[in-house]
Amino acid sequence: MGLFVPQSGPLLWLFIVGALLFGGLCLFLLTLAPPRARKPLIAAVTFLAGLFFAAEFFWPVATSGDNIGKNFLTPYLKPVSDMTTVLQAFALGVGIYSLLNVHLRAIARRRQGWGFSVVLVGSILAIAVPALWKEYDRENTVARGLYTLAYDGGFNALNAAMFSIVAFYIVSAAYRAFRARSVEATILLCSALVVILGQIAVGQALTSWLPAEGFAANFRLEILRNWILTRVNAPAVLAIELGIGIGALATSLRLWLSLEQGSYFEEEV
Amino acid sequence: MEHATGPTRWILLTFSIIIVWQVIRAQRGHRPFIRRIPGLTAIDEAVGRAVEMGRPILSSVGLGGIDIVTLQALAIVTNVAAVAARFGSRLLLPVRNAALVPVAEDAIRNAYNAAGRPDAFHEEDILFLSGEQFAYAAGIAGIIQRERVAATFLFGTFFAESLIIAENANQVGAIQVAGTPSTTQIPFFIVSCDYVIIGDEFYGATAYLTRQPTLMGSLAGQDLVKGLLLALILVGAVLLTANVPVVRNLFSDRDLASLAAYFLPTPEGR
Repeated sequence: MGLFVPQSGPLLWLFIVGALLFGGLCLFLLTLAPPRARKPLIAAVTFLAGLFFAAEFFWPVATSGDNIGKNFLTPYLKPVSDMTTVLQAFALGVGIYSLLNVHLRAIARRRQGWGFSVVLVGSILAIAVPALWKEYDRENTVARGLYTLAYDGGFNALNAAMFSIVAFYIVSAAYRAFRARSVEATILLCSALVVILGQIAVGQALTSWLPAEGFAANFRLEILRNWILTRVNAPAVLAIELGIGIGALATSLRLWLSLEQGSYFEEEV
Repeated sequence: MEHATGPTRWILLTFSIIIVWQVIRAQRGHRPFIRRIPGLTAIDEAVGRAVEMGRPILSSVGLGGIDIVTLQALAIVTNVAAVAARFGSRLLLPVRNAALVPVAEDAIRNAYNAAGRPDAFHEEDILFLSGEQFAYAAGIAGIIQRERVAATFLFGTFFAESLIIAENANQVGAIQVAGTPSTTQIPFFIVSCDYVIIGDEFYGATAYLTRQPTLMGSLAGQDLVKGLLLALILVGAVLLTANVPVVRNLFSDRDLASLAAYFLPTPEGR
């Protein structure tokens, strides 16, 4: 486990350089491997990586003692998952390259709408520069102020604005969906009406004169709404999720065992 | 931390063996029947329309990272790209996860090569927009409005941004095909898209599109497993109703929770 403990000082740099050298060596050896051997090699690595998570999930866990709910692989779960995070961090560079590649080209060639590209590149700098400055000079109030202005004042506000737009789109989509053009649309309209009215106080007041108990209580809007959600909607959703779960299991197996063929128009590596 | 309990272990192992057995059976020549899925049949129609209108096609593989859902979505989009390459249409694929850029580039490039149109592939058409949910949604909405896309293919994990994307595409009159395992977003896609593939159709899409024996066998395995699960549910319900204690003794609450956690994952995000 010592290998997976966070390091500091000279040991940290040793680990970083070691990891880079090891990674580079692996890539170099992969390029030396004959093309016919590469695919089985990748399949073997995929299998071993998947085997770790499968074994960790299936291996019986301790039911008593200090390690309750854990097996011998559980302590390695976080370090192995962290490797994915590290890979993602490297990939962010690829993403930024992709983004800048498109937009700097647009600016350089004065393509239509290149002004938006200037805004985008400017926005990246406006967030990145104060964020890095703040990180390396934590006492600097100017850096903190700039970051708060750009992130909290700009980004968060824009984020909230985009989320709030969803409400308007729900109305426009619901308007189209609820037009009773077919039997299905009419059923949707009626059930939606019952659910909406059963959800709000004004709707519930419409049937409040019905007794709260006995057979007639079943026709109160809030009871009908509850019936639709728990007896009609929930089983349908659970059935969909069950199918999705089985589909995910099949896809995972194909990828893990490298059985996937033809989905990505794979070429010989 | 989730771990398999006794019955979960054996049930998942049995299901896995059934699926792999069906894959091997299909590879040896047994081809199962696949019913028509309208949403996937519409791919040719949507791409053809884009060519007629001289406008691009927009695809999205959702908000997920490199996981099973996103890889399956990418497989579907790759097949759409092959059709687009054949018809000579441009396909735009904005992604939210930076790690997906090289993977998507490679898959789409392969699709163009397989279609015999490597010249039509443009690296800048697979572009990283933002890792943030609504910045990504705003970016896609902008592309849809500026390029006046003729068709959109939305596959993968989606949250609240699904409606922003689909409604913007609706405004420009794009023909839309969507599919997601995010059950909370299926209603939004149903009301705003022309075709929606739901549930395990999402995982059966590549088998339907490619007719590859491996994928068709996997689909047959999924159906067998589904039938087996339905039979288990039915038998369990009857036995419990008849107050036969064997079911309660076989599955503890923890076992049932473990099974439910595997098959019915809780969605994240907003």
